[in-house]
Amino acid sequence: MKIQQIRRDKDEYMDLLLMADPQRDMIESYLDRSEVFVLVNGGDVCGICVVEPLKNRKCELKSIAIREKDRGKGCARYMLRHICEHYGNQCDTMYAGMCNSRRNIEFFEKCGFINSHIAVNFYPEHYREPVCQDGVRMTDKVYMRKQLDSEISVKKVVDLALEAGRILLKNGAEIFRVDETIVRICNRFHVQYVDTFILSHAIFVSAENGMEEAYTKVKQVPLSSSHLGIVAEVNELSREIEEGLVSIEEASERLRRIDGMPGKKGYFQVLAAGIVSGCFGYLLGASELESMIAFVIGCLLHVWVLTAKKYQMSKMIVNIAGGVIITALALLAYHLPVPGHVKPDGMIIGSIMPLVPGLAFVNAIRDIADSDFLSGTVRMIDALLVFVYIAVGVGITLSIYNNMGGRLML
Amino acid sequence: MIHDFIMHVMCPFIGTIGYAVLFNIPKKFYLCCGFTGAAGWLIYHAVVSMNASAVTASFFGTLAVVLTSRVLSVRKKCPIIIFLVSGILPLVPGAGIYYTVYYMVTNQLAEAVLRGMESVKTAFAIVLGIVLVLSIPGGIFQLVSTEKGARQRRG
Repeated sequence: MKIQQIRRDKDEYMDLLLMADPQRDMIESYLDRSEVFVLVNGGDVCGICVVEPLKNRKCELKSIAIREKDRGKGCARYMLRHICEHYGNQCDTMYAGMCNSRRNIEFFEKCGFINSHIAVNFYPEHYREPVCQDGVRMTDKVYMRKQLDSEISVKKVVDLALEAGRILLKNGAEIFRVDETIVRICNRFHVQYVDTFILSHAIFVSAENGMEEAYTKVKQVPLSSSHLGIVAEVNELSREIEEGLVSIEEASERLRRIDGMPGKKGYFQVLAAGIVSGCFGYLLGASELESMIAFVIGCLLHVWVLTAKKYQMSKMIVNIAGGVIITALALLAYHLPVPGHVKPDGMIIGSIMPLVPGLAFVNAIRDIADSDFLSGTVRMIDALLVFVYIAVGVGITLSIYNNMGGRLML
Repeated sequence: MIHDFIMHVMCPFIGTIGYAVLFNIPKKFYLCCGFTGAAGWLIYHAVVSMNASAVTASFFGTLAVVLTSRVLSVRKKCPIIIFLVSGILPLVPGAGIYYTVYYMVTNQLAEAVLRGMESVKTAFAIVLGIVLVLSIPGGIFQLVSTEKGARQRRG
């Protein structure tokens, strides 16, 4: 669902307007000086809303109507909320006039309107035909009003968008997704002019809505371990925000919860690393027994990775030591009196797999494909270095082994 | 036959899921990730058994992986990276790294260069494959799943 402002040919939507206000010349009397918004769902216009800006930061909701078959789905509430946010920046109070029926008043009360004043005998004086609703003839026009909170400031919106962007970038999303999410959130909350500059480890956002001064913020995002589940969640959230289902407070609350999402349990990860090693070992030419040993090596390797992560060791140490551990264990298995004959190469290849920097590699390519060359290069170097570290680890161990007189059979 | 099935379907399938776990991919995507990985490996294997080089096979395998990922990401409405990261793993030249290092350490430099070059070429084939499919306009993939999308809209 999307809301669009109509600037020309406003009377094209007369059918819809006549649902809310039966007399054509009454509509025409306010249509020209009012602002018209339509609710578009899948290409069809299914609702309309007319607001007249008044003096002294006030405005009046002249008319709101939803197409018959789309009623009862919350379209009107959605539209009204959007309009209130839209006028929140330029007006303090919104009035809405309606005929005195229970249904109308209840609806506006639910949307946060309160009673304001009554125009006595309005309908018989201004309308030629009697105005009826639910079989009752209407006489007085009831006005309700709502304080528009101009809480949705640029600052608040940008902070929310930036937080979403930070979480995405930290957990390994592509640059273009971060950019898209930030712009999407800003536009949804009526901050129209957004400029972003995103690197693999920092976000710069500058935004304004044409009324306040531009607001700029920089956020550093250190490289850290990635959690694609969080990326998927934030993506889902930003989709919902764009559809207008989530308010700004709800969104920041949900972001906070998403950010605190734990990873998979340690033993589960260890097991998974073992399975990766075993499966790929077998796939790349190890025997059944060798795959089994690769499984064990993979598990032990991940225990090391998790420990290193806990003590925040650098990537270099983690991967070089990882390579050393894999090779040493594989050579150990080679010398152990296991039944049958095992060769170390299949085991080593299999066990390398969990260390392979798949995410950095794919992200780098993705960024370069989107012409984010700067971030793409950084991430590509990150990925290549991990490959080199692993190779160094394996190489050191193999050469020590060779020098000690062991002879490898390939 | 059964051995082939286990080796070329189950192994990449389960292995890919294992890798997905390491990246904390949500549970509901496990099957899709496994499917992507298996699809990539099957194409790779099919091309290799037609006497093509590993580099060519990696290229076609990558095409399969990225195409599957794109369709899945439109259908499941989630970032493509989820399927791509785990699906590409069976094609990453992990063996190439090992053999390069091995030959280097055992002083067989000619072999080492050969293996190293092949790994680099494979990596480039993967890059090329990913970039190629990613640059197909998104509308086409929307079309692929319109049938389902239309049903959702009606229901």
